[in-house]
Amino acid sequence: MIGGISLKLEEKQITNKNTSSFAEKSKYTLKKIFVSEYFILYLSLAYFFILVPFVPGLASASNIMNLFSNMWPMLTIAIGQTIVLIVAGIDLSQTATLGITSIIGAMVMSTGIDPALLETSPLWGWFITEQGGVLAGTSMAIPIGIVIMLTVGTLIGWFNGIAIAKFKITAFMVTLVSQMFFGALAIYLSTSQNIMNLPKAFSAIGTEGIGIIPFSLVIAVVLGIVAHIILSSTVLGRWLYSTGTNIKSSIVSGVPTDKVVIFAYMFSGFCTSVGAILYSARLGMGRPTLGDNMLMDIIGATVIGGTSMFGGKGKVLWTVFGVFFFVLLSNTLNLLNLSYFTINIVKGAIIVVAAFIDVTRTRIIAKGL
Amino acid sequence: MKDTVNKLLLTLLKNTPIMLFIVIFILFGILSPKFFSYTNFENIATQASYVGIIAVGMTFILLTGGIDLSVGSIMYVSAATTGVLIAKGMPIPIALCLALLIGLVFGAVNAFAIVKLKILPFVVTLSTMVAGRGVGLSITESRSIMLPDTITKIGSTRIIGIPLPIIIFAIVVGVAYIILAKTTLGRQIYATGNDVEAAKKAGINTDKILFTIYILSGLFAALGGIISVAQLGNINAGFGSGDEFDAIAAAVLGGTSLFGGVGGVLPGTVIGTVLIQMIQAGLVYLQVNLYIQPIISAGIIFLAVFLDSIRDAKINKMERRKIRTEQAPASAK
Amino acid sequence: MSKTVLELKNISKSFFGIAALKNVEFSVKEGQVISLIGENGAGKSTLMNIIGGVLKPDGGEMKLQDQNYIPNTPKDAAEAGIEFIHQELNLFPNLSIADNMFITKFPKVSQTPIIDKANIRNHTKEMLQAVDLKVSPDTLVENLSPGERQLVEIAKAISSDPQILIFDEPTTSLTAKETERLFELINSLRTRGKAIIYISHILADVMNISDEIVVLRDGQVTDKGLKKDFTIDRMICSMVGRDIKQLYPERKSQPTDEIALKLENVSQPGTVHNISFELNKGEVLGIFGLMGSGRSELARIIFGLDPHETGKISIDGDKVCGISPKNSIENKLAFVTENRREEGLLMDVSIAENMGLVTLTKYASKLTKVIKKTSLYDQVKKVGELLKLKSGDIEKYPPKSLSGGNQQKVVIGKWLMTSPKVLIVDEPTRGIDVGAKYEVYSIINDLAAQGTGVLMISSELEELMGTCDRILVMNKGEIISEFSKTGFTQKNIMRAAFRQDAV
Repeated sequence: MIGGISLKLEEKQITNKNTSSFAEKSKYTLKKIFVSEYFILYLSLAYFFILVPFVPGLASASNIMNLFSNMWPMLTIAIGQTIVLIVAGIDLSQTATLGITSIIGAMVMSTGIDPALLETSPLWGWFITEQGGVLAGTSMAIPIGIVIMLTVGTLIGWFNGIAIAKFKITAFMVTLVSQMFFGALAIYLSTSQNIMNLPKAFSAIGTEGIGIIPFSLVIAVVLGIVAHIILSSTVLGRWLYSTGTNIKSSIVSGVPTDKVVIFAYMFSGFCTSVGAILYSARLGMGRPTLGDNMLMDIIGATVIGGTSMFGGKGKVLWTVFGVFFFVLLSNTLNLLNLSYFTINIVKGAIIVVAAFIDVTRTRIIAKGL
Repeated sequence: MKDTVNKLLLTLLKNTPIMLFIVIFILFGILSPKFFSYTNFENIATQASYVGIIAVGMTFILLTGGIDLSVGSIMYVSAATTGVLIAKGMPIPIALCLALLIGLVFGAVNAFAIVKLKILPFVVTLSTMVAGRGVGLSITESRSIMLPDTITKIGSTRIIGIPLPIIIFAIVVGVAYIILAKTTLGRQIYATGNDVEAAKKAGINTDKILFTIYILSGLFAALGGIISVAQLGNINAGFGSGDEFDAIAAAVLGGTSLFGGVGGVLPGTVIGTVLIQMIQAGLVYLQVNLYIQPIISAGIIFLAVFLDSIRDAKINKMERRKIRTEQAPASAK
Repeated sequence: MSKTVLELKNISKSFFGIAALKNVEFSVKEGQVISLIGENGAGKSTLMNIIGGVLKPDGGEMKLQDQNYIPNTPKDAAEAGIEFIHQELNLFPNLSIADNMFITKFPKVSQTPIIDKANIRNHTKEMLQAVDLKVSPDTLVENLSPGERQLVEIAKAISSDPQILIFDEPTTSLTAKETERLFELINSLRTRGKAIIYISHILADVMNISDEIVVLRDGQVTDKGLKKDFTIDRMICSMVGRDIKQLYPERKSQPTDEIALKLENVSQPGTVHNISFELNKGEVLGIFGLMGSGRSELARIIFGLDPHETGKISIDGDKVCGISPKNSIENKLAFVTENRREEGLLMDVSIAENMGLVTLTKYASKLTKVIKKTSLYDQVKKVGELLKLKSGDIEKYPPKSLSGGNQQKVVIGKWLMTSPKVLIVDEPTRGIDVGAKYEVYSIINDLAAQGTGVLMISSELEELMGTCDRILVMNKGEIISEFSKTGFTQKNIMRAAFRQDAV
């Protein structure tokens, strides 16, 4: 009997606890979602499903395909930015790198260039001619063109890295100046013209795929996985984080911080040229102004994903979410047939809201659940 | 003896922006004798004035360790509003005041998000930059706006023989210099830029300071926008875009640190602004290919920043060598 | 009988249900220096924050000049005549002394917003005279030594003529001479009738300056009395709550004859000159010097963080060192820097990551450079246990969550992961409490017993005398004398350190 009573009492207590904690529990769950590293993904998905009834064609297969095809090139570039932000840097030169690698690659591969447009280019007559780029028509044109694009991008990153790591110039200034320099160089070399007539096989990289899986997805995902493994599992990854967190402590601990910083910028340049390949292939041309107006989207997407501008904090996965969010946002605003300026205003507002949410989250995390 | 040499070297090093300015000045003069003419100097100064005004506002921001990417868009919105309203017949003085008010409101929005919502200045001003461009585009309906002659006349007005833009620039610099060097606000800006937490502990109202400087920056951006539009006579969709980076480059070239607490408008930002403008004007004088000009400008700016970093390293090294030369044992570090 | 200025009754405070202060009571009289001592976490800073208006007590009352004293903000405290001289100085190095003095209360030229420069310059001059600091008011603070900065801070504090002055660890960054000067100043303030609360870890200073001593432990006053009734031993007993027979653990081993680290004529113009010495395996060699003597600079040169122009540094016989941190680490040299926050730790990264940082490559696959996390963390845990590291889950919590002593253990642990042959420790016990100090000394002892050569740099002579086999004295970048254990006397070593000043 006594046992029975006590059992009942216990039961009562338990049910009491359950009812009283139901509200708390749901609050706790909400809070948990809010502070989860998947938050931006949840937010994007919620945004998507809420808008589906209101935005015609949002959930259509072609739109979703379109949405993702916009995502991959941007993602590759944002991954590079993520690594640079992790070492407490910033890469403003990505836009210029996009432009210059795009036209140089095109100038290698193009199969026909209009003299009326490019005759005044300093490259006319020896690097590019009416018959197209320097390797036009040869079987090696595409692979060599791609290698050259990757090399140029990586070299720009190397230059940035050297100036920042060895000469201790602030990253902001270095990459700002190289943005000016290489942006102007791209315009100069191309006389501000697009380079047309890229080989079909090259364009296929941006437009076709294996079955329904586009090549650009494969390339972006492979790059993302490589970057993720570097960051999460290798010695270099720890060094990137530790250099970004406290460079002095890292130096004392024998971390080759100069090399780590240089690597970050080279990797950013490399990722950017991969992005340039995907964009150029999709457009079927080399464009000197390819990256114009993209910088803020890239940095915005990376930061909204949760990567800190103070260094030491960031993940590839977060950037995937951030980019997805940004691309989705642009897509829906376009589908709503909003004017270009309204899109700008909404985008601006959403960056601030997302940043504010991030600030609040960080505060909650710091306090503990 | 060695001490005086060292001291001299230190002073020289500490004034690299001016040294560089002089060197480039002489270089252009040698390459193109026409460069040394009063008209040319006047042109350089006139063209430098609107970026210079924005750069002064940017200097305030950088001194607190912040950044303002929205100035280009603020220029656009305020100039576009003025243009549209004047075209619709609003009296010019009122339209101009309204333009300044717009700059002030933008600055206040930035300040609110930075101070109250505690969002990074980079992100806040990035979004006001994007949104501001949108507002500007909607006001102008993405069209280029021509302004009546009355406005361009203001741009070419002369007072005691000096173009009005230069006079306004000079006044802005003067006021900014006095604020920074001689008022409580100025001194507290430096303190805040050095260490916000310490400034708060010392009883400085850092929120108020941040509010003030972002509003000032918005105000100066609007003023710069008006001056620029008075010189150009029209506003297109790209008006002001990229000027935020010119302003940052000018301030940094003038020795203002991106990390706060170090720098100033005079000679600092003024030298930086005029240096950039002089390079661009000089290249025009030398009749350099239009496409190559920006490449060379970027190259020279890089050189300036590069020399600056070498200088810093050198100064640090020279100031570190103390243990064995000074008498007081407590002066290491 | 002088008047009681500040009286605390039954002050209690708890955070999240954990008591930080329990019924604390004491009072300060005019013209009295009362020292407050206790280990880190004993509640000193909580108590100061309550007096300073930063925190509100949960219970109890404070009386200032017999009036109820309930400060809501630091400003209230300042207005009531209580000034703090903080451990971390609240000065802006990029501003001049005069600007710092008046940063929130600049006098203006009549009717304008312009600062009256002549006025602040003159006032600052007077204020500096009061602390006997002979520099121009226009000097930038960054050009002052730590000691001079401390004096500026004091000058600022006493300029408002406060009734009560609270010094929080004022001597940690001062040279012996500057400390002396500070004490003269405190004495003169005492004669002028000020009430002074003096907080310090340096017990010798406490013995020197106090009239009364209050000991806090776990938020309670465990001992209180006149200075003359106190001994250092009594202070320690009351602070740690157990008998520490000695401040320093007994050495278990003797140094060997094998050379671990050797310096031959190492010079770097402007920093160190002609440094030669040998450190044997199993030896603890101390380097003593005043601030600015070049002791820390020498350590940085040996480890390869700073360059040296001439001379040779070798470890373990023939391996050349002093080239780069990487080279030093490969040659099994380890370096615990003097500033753990800035150069020792990644404050926000997990303890395990911190401890693994130096040895990452050792625990990574040769080919792919992927880290073998389990084996790395196993080793980290082993070292943590060895050091008796008190922390939460080391994979989760950052050093930020630890006490100073445990933070220092993380730094030491990071280096033990490399099983070093030579360990350089620079100010290993700065800012950590008595109990933790003892543990650090024990770790050094154990390492020496295992054959590691330890080079210990410190500005606390006593701890060197208690731990080392030999002490080298540096002055102005040179080694000017050497003392072996039998010749250790405080007077002789100090005299050597000050030698040049006497000339």
